[in-house]
Amino acid sequence: MTKPAILQVRGLVVHYHTPLGAVKAADNITFSLKPEERLGLVGESGSGKSTMALAILRMIKPPGRIEAGEVWLDGINVMTLSDEQMRQVRLAQIAMIPQGSMNSLNPVMRIRAQLADVWRDHGVTLTKRELGERVSGLLQSVGLRPEVADMYPHELSGGMKQRACIAIAISLRPKVIIADEPTSALDVVVQKQVMQTLARVQKDLGASVIVVGHDMGLVAQFVDRVGIMYAGKLVELSPVREVFTTPLHPYTRMLIASLPSLEQKGTFRGIPGLPPLLRDLPPGCAFHPRCPSASDLCRNSVPLFIEARPDCWVACHRL
Amino acid sequence: MTTVLEARHITKVFGGGLFDRNTTVALENFSIAIDSDRPSITAVVGESGSGKTTLARLLLGLVTPTRGQVCYQGQDLRTMGSAAWGAFRRDVQVIFQDPYEVYNPFYRVDHVLTTPVAKFRLASSRVQARALIEDALMAVGLRSEETLGRFPHQLSGGQRQRVMVARALLLKPRVILADEPVSMVDASLRATILACLRNMTVERGISILYITHDLATAYQISQNIVVLYRGSVAEAGDVELVVKNPQHPYTRLLISSIPVASAERTWTTETVAGPASQAVGTAGCRFADRCPSATSPCQQSPPPLFQTDRHRAASCYLYQSASALSVEEMVKVFAEQASNHPWVYPAARPVMSEDR
Amino acid sequence: MRHTTAPSKRSPGTARPGALAAVWRYMHRNVSLVVGIALLSILVLFVIIGHTFVDTNKSRALSVPALKPPSLEYPFGTDRQGRDLLATMVAGTPLTLRIGFIAGFLGVGIGSILAFTAAYYRGVVDTVIRGIADIGLTVPGLMVLIIIAVSLKEGLTVDQMAVIVASLAWLNPTRTIRAQVLSLRERAFVEVARLSGMSGPEIILKELMPNLLPYLGATLVNAVSNAILASIGLEVLGLGPIDSPTLGMTLYWVNFNAAIINGWWWWWTAPIVIILIVFLGLFFLTVGLDEIANPRLRRSV
Repeated sequence: MTKPAILQVRGLVVHYHTPLGAVKAADNITFSLKPEERLGLVGESGSGKSTMALAILRMIKPPGRIEAGEVWLDGINVMTLSDEQMRQVRLAQIAMIPQGSMNSLNPVMRIRAQLADVWRDHGVTLTKRELGERVSGLLQSVGLRPEVADMYPHELSGGMKQRACIAIAISLRPKVIIADEPTSALDVVVQKQVMQTLARVQKDLGASVIVVGHDMGLVAQFVDRVGIMYAGKLVELSPVREVFTTPLHPYTRMLIASLPSLEQKGTFRGIPGLPPLLRDLPPGCAFHPRCPSASDLCRNSVPLFIEARPDCWVACHRL
Repeated sequence: MTTVLEARHITKVFGGGLFDRNTTVALENFSIAIDSDRPSITAVVGESGSGKTTLARLLLGLVTPTRGQVCYQGQDLRTMGSAAWGAFRRDVQVIFQDPYEVYNPFYRVDHVLTTPVAKFRLASSRVQARALIEDALMAVGLRSEETLGRFPHQLSGGQRQRVMVARALLLKPRVILADEPVSMVDASLRATILACLRNMTVERGISILYITHDLATAYQISQNIVVLYRGSVAEAGDVELVVKNPQHPYTRLLISSIPVASAERTWTTETVAGPASQAVGTAGCRFADRCPSATSPCQQSPPPLFQTDRHRAASCYLYQSASALSVEEMVKVFAEQASNHPWVYPAARPVMSEDR
Repeated sequence: MRHTTAPSKRSPGTARPGALAAVWRYMHRNVSLVVGIALLSILVLFVIIGHTFVDTNKSRALSVPALKPPSLEYPFGTDRQGRDLLATMVAGTPLTLRIGFIAGFLGVGIGSILAFTAAYYRGVVDTVIRGIADIGLTVPGLMVLIIIAVSLKEGLTVDQMAVIVASLAWLNPTRTIRAQVLSLRERAFVEVARLSGMSGPEIILKELMPNLLPYLGATLVNAVSNAILASIGLEVLGLGPIDSPTLGMTLYWVNFNAAIINGWWWWWTAPIVIILIVFLGLFFLTVGLDEIANPRLRRSV
């Protein structure tokens, strides 16, 4: 029996209106997230993945605008909420660990105070003792010693700061956690530790996680399903096993082929050409200029996002 | 064996000034020799705090070592005259990590190519200079009409990085130090730059020191590898041996932490080592506080490099039965030409007088 | 941070049809700049048109009947010593501006040279220059200027005035420009330039300076503004060029003759309005230039 989706994104469109034209950062994105599921949204720079994360939380600022689409969070259409209601929903129902967040911890506040801020902002009143207990418990759940509560951000290492950010994100026990490039500035050993912390935290809360990033390896090892974004569109969405054993979309195939392996030495295979400018997309399929199997159909019409195999979605004419 | 660039027992300590009691030993007693007879690609792999960036800056003469010497053609950089520095700046080139910061946003990308041509007097006329630049751009797979005349923000990260490689080539160097050349470039564009670098060695006989934290690209591109941990060498040797069968506990930790982009889950094993401590100036092995196999000799004195294979050495007391190498002998374990490499190196390139 | 979007299709060398439209759009975004330029243009027009239609000789004392309120014959009225105030304003405004510009340029010029040298070479040079500037900044500037002005026996000319003000105008620019150069010098492209064989002075001139032009422009406008203020201050105290009809000197005579108490409002209104326009214009210009100079202030996608 499949559980109903905790998060459903339908037809989300986000444009940035610049003097030079509209930048179509996210075009008709549709996907759903089941409870306790881990989804990876992978794309290179300019693919629109960070825009997606911000849009789900309605954190797009002008000149960006959510043009169309619905985001259903546990049965509520987030797009219909007022600003104040949305503010309450953020962190309490759906939390985000933004990109570079470890560098946006307030440098003059101790970790304890930053956590207390979160609770105060969401109307949770705590006595000093309750606060202390909650903070300790929270830090412990992310693998930090209780003493960290009294430290300033500059006294913590990169991995510890990131875990503090995870603690802030889960402080109100949200149902969905969106992590945008959670480990991009961290060393590989620390990266594994932080991701394992995130996995543990997710299990404890019974929450779902969306990891937004560009590291296919990280995604392969951590998530259950992978969504590949290219030029603002979702081009493939399949379980992680399928994506890496039998990728459907040519971009996914070529991307995986270009990744250096530790198994054996081989030739270097990059994807020729460059990703398109989001305000000047080519007609038809956005990938056709770089696709080895592009046909006239690809050049003229935009492929639909269809379920090619059970639970495997792809937008490509050439299947 | 003509050694072009050599580090002899270099140590670099930061801090420790009049009011600063916190000293950091970025690099400790490190030696490496890059020779030009058998051009090859050597990877120096380490995480942040390993000392790899400090090593690059020391080898380029941008900082001076606290102890030890950096020698160009046998001469200590500190005692070189301006003529020798000129030759050094031509023979040893660098590619930096950030493909945007290396460009002055005020000028078009041509500036970064025309400056060395002018300063080193590589061409006697504008026409000749233009021809040189076009050749260099072609060698990295760029078309001059698509590249020249543009501002840095109009090129992609991959293109900008390749222009930097072209710039390095203009001076016909013998050594290129590549400091994280692809870490800030998108995954699909990295392969082109790596192929380009490999061509430098294969077709032009340039030795490359590839400095990175990314073990996978290091494995793909290099022949030999040096793994640094907090300023000391943990393991060194033939990259196939070190990566496929790591011996030093740190190398094992590193490799087991790398997320592999495949359907197979390798991350399921819990990491065995603890977090790095902030402690400074440990007496023994740098890795002892995190090592699962640490014993009491590990805490007392740092282990030397034990040569455990013909083409590999690890500095760990687990292998103390093997013969110990002194620091400058580390290069002896470097493989010259392993048979399972898909590409063959050219024979020694003689240094022509017209080249200079 | 990754940088890989495709390059724009237009090459930068060809003229862009949208250039004029882009300027118009920018003017909408950077309103301060437009207002500043507009105000200063009004003044310039005033001076130019004034010089063609008004006889500036009437700005000398005893040229017209005294203390006449504004009328058709004397639009700005006349003062107690028989000066046509319109002529005085037309003649005096450029003089005041000139003092400001000379002092400002001298100040920023000297300051830049010192700043670049100190910041690029660091070490002893930096310590000495910074030390002098720091000590100089703690001394009350107006007091120094007063002492200098008082000790000069002969009557001051406008240009001498400018040099006096410039003598202190370089202190602040040295500090602020030095700070900018310090951060710029750490950028990777400076290292690349060094590795490409460029010498210190070459790097300062060709790599660092061009990137600071907007900032230098903003500093210059600021320095001019301060210089004008300082010169007016000295003149009001009577330490300026007595025979020149500068704005400050006019205010000195206003004070000397107790024009405010006596109700000769036209005498002090004209110079004050012009001074206001000068300062507002320079202020908006500074804000506008600051937006260009400081990319972080720019509002963009």
